[in-house]
Amino acid sequence: MTKQQANWSPYDNNGGSCVAIAGADYCVVAADTRMSTGYNILTRDYSKICKLADKAVMASSGFQADVKALQKLLAARHLIYQHQHNKQMSCPAMAQLLSNTLYYKRFFPYYSFNVLGGLDNEGKGCVFTYDAVGSYERVGYSSQGSGSTLIMPFLDNQLKSPSPLLLPAQDAVTPLSEAEAVDLVKTVFASATERDIYTGDKLEIVVLNADGIRREYMELRKD
Amino acid sequence: MSIFEYNGSALIAMVGKNCFAIASDRRLGVQLQTVATDFQRIYKIHDGLFLGLSGLATDAQTLYQRLVFRHKLYKLREERDMKPETFASLVSAILYEKRFGPYFCQPVIAGLSDEDKPFICTMDSIGAKELAKDFVVAGTASESLYGACEAMFKPDMEPEELFETVSQALLSSVDRDCLSGWGGHVYVVTTTEVKERILKGRMD
Repeated sequence: MTKQQANWSPYDNNGGSCVAIAGADYCVVAADTRMSTGYNILTRDYSKICKLADKAVMASSGFQADVKALQKLLAARHLIYQHQHNKQMSCPAMAQLLSNTLYYKRFFPYYSFNVLGGLDNEGKGCVFTYDAVGSYERVGYSSQGSGSTLIMPFLDNQLKSPSPLLLPAQDAVTPLSEAEAVDLVKTVFASATERDIYTGDKLEIVVLNADGIRREYMELRKD
Repeated sequence: MSIFEYNGSALIAMVGKNCFAIASDRRLGVQLQTVATDFQRIYKIHDGLFLGLSGLATDAQTLYQRLVFRHKLYKLREERDMKPETFASLVSAILYEKRFGPYFCQPVIAGLSDEDKPFICTMDSIGAKELAKDFVVAGTASESLYGACEAMFKPDMEPEELFETVSQALLSSVDRDCLSGWGGHVYVVTTTEVKERILKGRMD
């Protein structure tokens, strides 16, 4: 008789994709609203996007229970910061806090793949991308989640330098306008929905700019 | 590391208006080490039929040799070239013969069938055919290729536009995959000519 192996895992993957794009004076953060487990759909209407501060919005895919715990923790730490410093946390500050929070659980990680988008201290768009244990980098655009392998190459094609032979690598030759960036996000999610079973139902888009935060929705394929 | 990821590969075939394009990367690796930067993954069976083979390189070469043999035999007997649909069924049968000890390859077949209508198909390593009307992809970069092709594809593209689309999709996708790259090899086939072009991309 073979030895009995434990088959309980503390983690689950609820699927979904997130994207963030930084512009000259705006930032677009988007995620689909499908929550699944295995081949089943739990709900078609779950928001993966969380406003952490006035100028910092986080989208997370992966294990949503861990994501919810992480969002709760960051909200609490932000409140403490506001009491101590009498101001909102800036996006780069929140980025560092998120990294430290994730690394704190280095040996039992949050199964959460995050993109943080917002406006930096100069009002320019910024996007930070993370792995599950807090390694992070400021980039011009990023995607995470089940559809990220499908989405990233297309974002590279549209947003990275026109030729891979250009040195130093330019992030974008002509920066996109806010409307163009939102359009690109919609295109990218429509494509990802076609080929990734965990992405679909509805797309939630959050746009941060000097005027504040605006939310937009778009229907996606439900199959 | 999976046996399908041992050598690294990227393949696309895409349908246009009375034409098709088939493209591959050029890298041959042994796990993380690159061993060749001009590896041929796409083979011409006849003027209107091309075969791309991704996956384990040794199996790809053996499979190609067996299929060329079978096509030559067919030509002797039937005194004509094989139609792409027939060839696809042949490849499928040969792969299924090895059901319990398969060739570790994923083929991509592209050709012009009756009335010069473009035909593309792919199959898994044991011969399950997937016919598509728009594009098919294979290789270690297949997920990236799906995303890029899905976003860039338009129906009824002319040969020049098709070449641009396939090239952009291939280069963007292999740039996100460590095991494929070192440029590209694109064939654009119309009823009158076959244009073969080499792309220079990121050489890493």
